[in-house]
Amino acid sequence: MSLYAYAITRDRPIELDGPWLIRHRGLALVVADVDLDRFTGLEFDDPAEDSPLAVLAREHDTVVRAVFRHEPVLPLRFGTVLESADAALRLLAARHEEALVRLDQLAGRQEWGVRLRAAAPEPPQLDGLSGTAYLMARRRNLTAADDARRDATAVHEELTRRAAESTRRDPAGDVLLEAAYLVDVPLEDDFHASVHRLTSGLSVEITGPWPPYSFTRMELADA
Amino acid sequence: MENRHTSLADTLERVLDKGVVIVGDIAVSVVDIELLTLRVRLFVASAQTAREMGMDWWTDDPFFTPKAVDRTAEMKALTQQNAELGDRLAALERALGERS
Repeated sequence: MSLYAYAITRDRPIELDGPWLIRHRGLALVVADVDLDRFTGLEFDDPAEDSPLAVLAREHDTVVRAVFRHEPVLPLRFGTVLESADAALRLLAARHEEALVRLDQLAGRQEWGVRLRAAAPEPPQLDGLSGTAYLMARRRNLTAADDARRDATAVHEELTRRAAESTRRDPAGDVLLEAAYLVDVPLEDDFHASVHRLTSGLSVEITGPWPPYSFTRMELADA
Repeated sequence: MENRHTSLADTLERVLDKGVVIVGDIAVSVVDIELLTLRVRLFVASAQTAREMGMDWWTDDPFFTPKAVDRTAEMKALTQQNAELGDRLAALERALGERS
């Protein structure tokens, strides 16, 4: 029987509905028996709201969150399957020190996502507009877009100062800022107040709290 | 820590694209993560498309898209052709009506 692995956490007693812990020197891997058939053909699945992929991804997230309620976690990438409990132990041993240190750093912190969008520009009124007036209107729009991008970077720098760690993705489309912040729980009110102050009048979406998905850039190898 | 209200796009983006990556022969990835991640990116992008629809005014703006001019001209030609065909059809129907 293969084991689906959800996350690495500290070896502490946790009640989970289904999954269990494989323990090794202070670390634990959260695992569950997996029916591999459920994962077959997922890459061709259209990820709609009720698709098998969506269901599995939400299950994964639910387990990671259940652990995260009690202990810091290093979430594993979706679809990680181990061939045996022995493999799980080898995995925990391989980067034991690094995992423990990272768990300590993540303790007491949660991830928040912040997305800033550009306001839709005024559609140009072309009728009766002189060429000069048209070009000036065009220039105003372009300058506004530049300003918006600069403002988004300023917001990110300001929020980074209020977070333990931050990470930013390349923005695409009308998204000016797509960032995640790892925030100390006692400082969350402060952080949110800053978000609201810095983004007032802008189109902003805040998601979270998340387990530290965006802050576990780690590769574990069977070294 | 409820995740009911998080959008699927946000959940997929994190669960599939983030987290510890396990490499080596002790772990097998049951799905082609790269392909899956690519598809999820497309989904996340399409989930945002509705918001971006309002942003595509420039595709019809001759300043940015010279082809937009052609499209306007083409539209005019088609509209004119349509009107001409309508007129001819009406004339034919009239002629038929007179004959019977």
